[in-house]
Amino acid sequence: MSFMTMLQVMGNGMLKSIGIFLWTLLLSLPLGLVIAVIRQKKLPVITQIIKIYISLMRGTPLMLQLLVVFFGPFYLFKIRLSDGYRFIAVLIAFVLNYAAYFAEIYRSGIESMPIGQYEAATVLGYSKSQTFLKIILPQVIKRIFPALTNEVITLVKDTSLAFSIAYVEMFTVAKQIAAKETTMLPFVIAGVFYYVFNFLVAFLSEWIEKKMNYYR
Amino acid sequence: MKKIWALLLAAILAFSFAGCGTEKETKQDTDDNTKNETETTEFKVGFDAEYPPYGYMDDDGSYTGFDLELAAAVCDYWDWEIKYVPIDWDSKDNELSSGMIDCIWSGFTINGREDDYTWSDPYVENSQVVVVAEDSGIDDLSGLADKVVAVQADSAALSLLQDEEGQKELADTFKELREFGDYNTAFAELLAGTVDAVAMDIGVAKYQLQSRGEGYKMLDEYLNEEQYGIGFRKGDTELRDSVQEAIDSLKKDGTFDQLAEKYDIADLVISE
Repeated sequence: MSFMTMLQVMGNGMLKSIGIFLWTLLLSLPLGLVIAVIRQKKLPVITQIIKIYISLMRGTPLMLQLLVVFFGPFYLFKIRLSDGYRFIAVLIAFVLNYAAYFAEIYRSGIESMPIGQYEAATVLGYSKSQTFLKIILPQVIKRIFPALTNEVITLVKDTSLAFSIAYVEMFTVAKQIAAKETTMLPFVIAGVFYYVFNFLVAFLSEWIEKKMNYYR
Repeated sequence: MKKIWALLLAAILAFSFAGCGTEKETKQDTDDNTKNETETTEFKVGFDAEYPPYGYMDDDGSYTGFDLELAAAVCDYWDWEIKYVPIDWDSKDNELSSGMIDCIWSGFTINGREDDYTWSDPYVENSQVVVVAEDSGIDDLSGLADKVVAVQADSAALSLLQDEEGQKELADTFKELREFGDYNTAFAELLAGTVDAVAMDIGVAKYQLQSRGEGYKMLDEYLNEEQYGIGFRKGDTELRDSVQEAIDSLKKDGTFDQLAEKYDIADLVISE
């Protein structure tokens, strides 16, 4: 296999990895926020459920969660699934897992806001939702951004776990080429792919951080 | 600038779901066909894509190998539609029993697993062998005493070395029996000296030695004799019989032997 074909085949795999990455971010960032906000309301039963959910998601490996989401419907309910479910299962597991981490990051930001800001907003006649959306959330996002970036970069590297349910992404392709060619070169290429992609993520996040720095 | 980013992201998002979409459409098409004309069955072959020469990625990035081409020929015989599913070897039983694949066709050893699957007739005469570094000074199995021996996780070689009636006695003389994920890692470790020997199937060993060139040798003394078959869900005799009928016919018309020649395993296959 020529070097160019190797790059091309792995490039196709990379598109699949990026697909997992983008869909997971798109869905888990809002979901994490919703979870964090609901937890903040201190509703008796729901807060407990959210706590258990976060504890389970953080306390078990993502690989195990992937297997449970993918094979669970069959072993628990005897539902026969089609092959198209593979990608859906990858998304469900990744989104649930990452939303749990994001929810905790959001919570750290929300709880760091001084109570005085809420009081001032009430005096100025802001409603509760206005206070949150217009005053609290913009500051929260600024504060948590470095922590979010950390998690997002981890997500890029976690995409390789998708092969535990036979979703063939970039790293799997690298392993398959390596087996066929009996060489380690594909792993070097994989490393470069991951690094370049994460470099872009870090670059973008720095750029956004600067944009948000409008008060300094 | 922003618009370009947005367009790019949207394109990739759409791309990753496009696969699912078209798949559904074609499925509907075949459903319609089923009603009107003949029946097209999809035959989902589960295999380890890191297992040359039986199943691996070809030069152009598509999947090929002796087992896969044979499976394709079986599908031609019955006019089935073939679907290659590269699986994570550790999850093969889950994939099979949940119906994600119809069979495990991947240089799959029958011995030791007789009661776990519904098997086809054996089609490859296999042996488990040991590969060592050329300058290691190990010449036979007894030379492996106090050495670190690597073996693929969940492989036939591993179960053989753990089986009381197999080679457990020999394995007990090793310093350590270490499991690894893929052969590349094992050979890298062999070269680096962190393991002294690697146990594997003879077909795989031949491929690896040929592809890697100098520096390794295969011990003349084999660990055992065993056979490959195609593993179907337990009780799925109907599918097994259909596949067996196709293979028997492929053996008669010479296709089977041609494939064996092509993948350089003619001395291993069972043609009769």
